Amino acid sequence: MESIVDVEHDPVPLVLIMANVLRRNESDPKRARLLAHTAGRVVFRSASDPQVVTIEFRRGRVMVTRGAAPDADMTIVADLATMSEEKPPKPAVSGALSHLRLALAVSKLLDPPVGDWQQEAERFWAYASPRPGCPSGLKVTCLDDGRVAEFGVRPAEYEIHGTAHRLRSVFSGGSVLGEDLLAGKLYAVGMLRHTAELTGCSLDWMMGR
Amino acid sequence: MSSLMDEIGERIHRDGIRWVRTDAVTLDGLVIGKHLSATKFLGSLATGHAISEIAHGMDLGGTPYLAWWNDWRPDALGDIVMRPDLDTFAVLPDRPNTATVLCDNVELSGDPLPLCSRSLLRRLVDELAGRGLCARAAFEVEAMVFAESPSAARRLGWRGLTPMSLPAALGYLHQNTRHQYRYLDEVLRRLEAIGVPIEGFHDEAAPGQIELNLDPADPVAAADHVVRIKQTMRDVAADQGCVVTFMAKPSAEYGNGLHVHHSLTRDGSAVFHAVDGNLGDEARRWLGGVVATLPAATSLHCPNINSFRRMVGFSAAPTVASWGHDDKSAAVRVLSRSASAARIECRVAGGDANPYLVLAAVLAGGLAGLDHDIDLPPPIGVASWGLPPTGWPHLPTTITSAAEALEADGRLRAALGDPFVEQWIKTRRWEWLMYHTTGGDASAVATTGWELTRYFEVV
Repeated sequence: MESIVDVEHDPVPLVLIMANVLRRNESDPKRARLLAHTAGRVVFRSASDPQVVTIEFRRGRVMVTRGAAPDADMTIVADLATMSEEKPPKPAVSGALSHLRLALAVSKLLDPPVGDWQQEAERFWAYASPRPGCPSGLKVTCLDDGRVAEFGVRPAEYEIHGTAHRLRSVFSGGSVLGEDLLAGKLYAVGMLRHTAELTGCSLDWMMGR
Repeated sequence: MSSLMDEIGERIHRDGIRWVRTDAVTLDGLVIGKHLSATKFLGSLATGHAISEIAHGMDLGGTPYLAWWNDWRPDALGDIVMRPDLDTFAVLPDRPNTATVLCDNVELSGDPLPLCSRSLLRRLVDELAGRGLCARAAFEVEAMVFAESPSAARRLGWRGLTPMSLPAALGYLHQNTRHQYRYLDEVLRRLEAIGVPIEGFHDEAAPGQIELNLDPADPVAAADHVVRIKQTMRDVAADQGCVVTFMAKPSAEYGNGLHVHHSLTRDGSAVFHAVDGNLGDEARRWLGGVVATLPAATSLHCPNINSFRRMVGFSAAPTVASWGHDDKSAAVRVLSRSASAARIECRVAGGDANPYLVLAAVLAGGLAGLDHDIDLPPPIGVASWGLPPTGWPHLPTTITSAAEALEADGRLRAALGDPFVEQWIKTRRWEWLMYHTTGGDASAVATTGWELTRYFEVV
């Protein structure tokens, strides 16, 4: 099915990321209807750097472009660095009171359904495993309860360990593998070659490429 | 080879050389390497010496490329080899006990490394030789010199610096050159000592801007000379307490280019000489290839986010894939009247480009023209600036669209080689990602602080 979410020509990363988030709603019929019936212009701005995009809901099409539309109905300012945390700080929102219906729709659409870590790991593996350079097998261990999920050839060439929240975040495209490893939020057992290739997959997964 | 090795050994002993600085060039044009004791250098002459491959694995901000892995890399981190080109051995005039030599990077097995731009250019020159063609090339190096010390320039964020000239932008003004003599005299003295042949120099259009013109040379040597000039100009600036930049667009108003001229001969005859005013078939196909592949080659000519800020009309930088007879508004300027000076000038590259890759892109384009019988379009016939957005072959305007153009051009890819092109495109997309996700402003219409911090002192 063709997506109703479009991006600008030669898009910047945040445009791709936001479009990818919005497209995730399209797998759920109720959310897909909400996406298709919403109207209004929303600016989404990073609190910590110059990244900013405008999402224009045009009832039937959604367009994501770089920059802040001067006539936006609503502006959301969020800390991109902490958005993947378990309890991220609430974004600052302006314009919601005068555009209640839009605000309610956007709050749902920017928080699309995400499965548990095993479901998200399975989706990620289906995306990543055909790509050249990826490990032949992946073993994922949840540090909260010791549960394990294995994909591809066993014994797996590469292992990722983390809490259920961190695993869910990285496999759903909410964070990037390499960054999470460098920050000590995830752990890995394997070769640098596979860390690099899987990080490339993780970046592309986040940007919907 | 062994006699040259013996000669180098004798010279090291005779001149009291204690250290040899080995220099190789990354895809971004950075010079990397080691200082080896004379004993270690001589002991490793036959095979070269090891250097960690991570030296090629980091971006201009020092962040490792952690989003892909190359087939030539070991599964974890390992070494590659710096193989000295002894023809480039020279004693540094400012450090009499230290010599320097340019190196190719090869795998531990001795196989060529796809990311060694110097080896890539040599491969193309060899390819030409195999077809009976001999290329010569010469670069024009532009740089801007400012009176502030490096630390003062950093404190100012590289903005509002004092040009080493009058404040007016005039060009060719000897009055400006006079302000630069102390700096230039030392640069020229050192270049002469290490064998870099300067044909001339002059004040350029921007305040504090200097252009150095090189004598024509074998293409690899021509690019070597650019590397040596940039090193030397930086060294002298550091010694004299001023700063120099080769950034493509360090300010909103002015940019640095890296124009490159090349000629071809077959059996001693100038291929680009237009007998009776007409270019020959080989010249037309060669030039057709250079022009047709320019959109794809732009990625190599304009490697950085900042490079594209230079590519605006009426600023002496080209904006469309055009050619013309002695037309400096065109991307490719053809000078074909005289057999002794028949040549093609490509004017796309910024001062921040890797000279080996700039020349490799031009030669690969010409080879593509020969291999694919690419038709030469008519000369542009009008000024190449300020043309409407449609109906003209505009060059890519961003680092990502340039990478896409390169990815899509099978002719240039084939001539440059897929392993290199794939690696290059990944690094350009990485640079795009770094700009947008580490503080660069996507809506900025002029050079940003992010660009000045990342590029001013290193490209």
